[in-house]
Amino acid sequence: MAAELLLAAAATLSLAVVLAPPMVRRASLLTRGLVGLAGMGAIAIAPSLDLILLILLVLAVLQAGLVSHRDFAARVRAPVLAIALVALGLAFERIEGPAVLLRFGAVGIVAGLVAAIGLLPYLHEFDPEESTIASPIPWIAFVGPLLAVSVLARAKQVLPADAGDAFGSMLIGLGLLNVLWGTVAAWRTENDAAAWRYSFLSDWGLVLCGFGLAIADGQGAALLLLLSIVLGRLPLYLWSRQALRDKAPTDRPINLLVAAALAGSAPFAGFAARVMLLRGATQIYWPLAVVLAAAMLLWLPASLRLGRSMGVPRGRQAIGVAIVLAVSVFLGLYPQPLLALAG
Amino acid sequence: MIELAAALLAWLGAALVALADARRGLALGLALVTIGFAVLAWATGQPVGAIALTLGGMTGAFQCWTAGPAKWGLMPPGSTARLVLCIAAGLLSLWISASVTTTRGAPLLFAVLVVLGLMAARVLTGRDAAVDRAAIACFALALGSSPALASSIPTGPVPYIIGALIAAAVIVAPATLLQGAARSGKDGG
Repeated sequence: MAAELLLAAAATLSLAVVLAPPMVRRASLLTRGLVGLAGMGAIAIAPSLDLILLILLVLAVLQAGLVSHRDFAARVRAPVLAIALVALGLAFERIEGPAVLLRFGAVGIVAGLVAAIGLLPYLHEFDPEESTIASPIPWIAFVGPLLAVSVLARAKQVLPADAGDAFGSMLIGLGLLNVLWGTVAAWRTENDAAAWRYSFLSDWGLVLCGFGLAIADGQGAALLLLLSIVLGRLPLYLWSRQALRDKAPTDRPINLLVAAALAGSAPFAGFAARVMLLRGATQIYWPLAVVLAAAMLLWLPASLRLGRSMGVPRGRQAIGVAIVLAVSVFLGLYPQPLLALAG
Repeated sequence: MIELAAALLAWLGAALVALADARRGLALGLALVTIGFAVLAWATGQPVGAIALTLGGMTGAFQCWTAGPAKWGLMPPGSTARLVLCIAAGLLSLWISASVTTTRGAPLLFAVLVVLGLMAARVLTGRDAAVDRAAIACFALALGSSPALASSIPTGPVPYIIGALIAAAVIVAPATLLQGAARSGKDGG
């Protein structure tokens, strides 16, 4: 899975650089993006969770060192908390002691992962006026997907077999919290940039539920959703930034198409992922599927809002939006080769 | 006995970083944490790791000592809560490592738990970049040493070396690494 997500992140960076609006400094964007990609590559090949944490610390300090409205101290807090939680959890998993310590260890790893990505209950501080690179968006949409896959894969090596159910339950619980909170907040919040941020949260909630199900359908749905975050929602958010600043919502057909892609309607990638997730949830515990289906329906008003906030893409942005929608349709219609590749 | 003393030294260093607001106190704290983890690494059969930790941590501590106003800044007014935190974190880590667990590397476990906990708390409550950088340096040293807790998995010197590099680089690097417009609209959004 990690290789697919790394390739997807590289593709998104290429799209963002090549099709960036004229006012954007491409060299700066490319440099910072390549630093992030290098870190993600190192995370993907790191043999242990300890090395992943050290690489994460490097990325956190580098990002906090960027010039921004928020100071170093404010930006480094959330990643350091995340690393500390995972490291303490890992320490508890490694020592010989009572079972309760192992459970605390599992809680620490899940809590740290959620804090690193910036999901509830550890939302990163978000300033809508801040540049995307210095904001929490790279954690939730660029580095986060690969980080989650890598951490969960390594965590399974250290967690005892009987902790698997508790681990999955925590992921599903946090997933439901983020789906519901993200959906309602993206609909009700006043600021459009904040609504986009909450929309990432909602997608991540479904991803956590998929990972928590621990069956093939759940894992496949999680992978498709992660790809739709990296290859779909992130570039669309980048290209909506100018329209968000102009505060000029529009109701053209392209806005409806974007809204449909963001909502996970057929034939876009999100639809296949949602169907797989519902199928997996039905196999494990059908009331979970009912809750997930209700949350997915709730997502429609927020998606329409986000689609309108895109404005009318012109020039390079229009090409970019067309590419993103085409890729999403392809992933939605033919997800099987990708899922087979990811195992 | 030496391991126990090294673990207590690491606690003392972390407490100094938690209680100090100026460069001399932070530098001394970082140096003590460095010595503590270097001795623990040597005791667990990692001489390369111990040397790497010493080089990285001491480079950071030296840079911390020479940069900024020459003050100790120990326990300024309003730091009672931090003092209580240092004692409570030490006692909790001591209880877990000495009483709750039956693991062999109790001193290392104590040092890792107390330094990670105190430094994370320092970064969460800190508002000064210099203080946060010193705390992150100590944090990196603890993180680099923690793989040795896994008795069943052989750990090489790589985590120690990476932890030491971070500890040195986070203090030596300029305050803003990548200058340029990071305002909305100039860097990709």
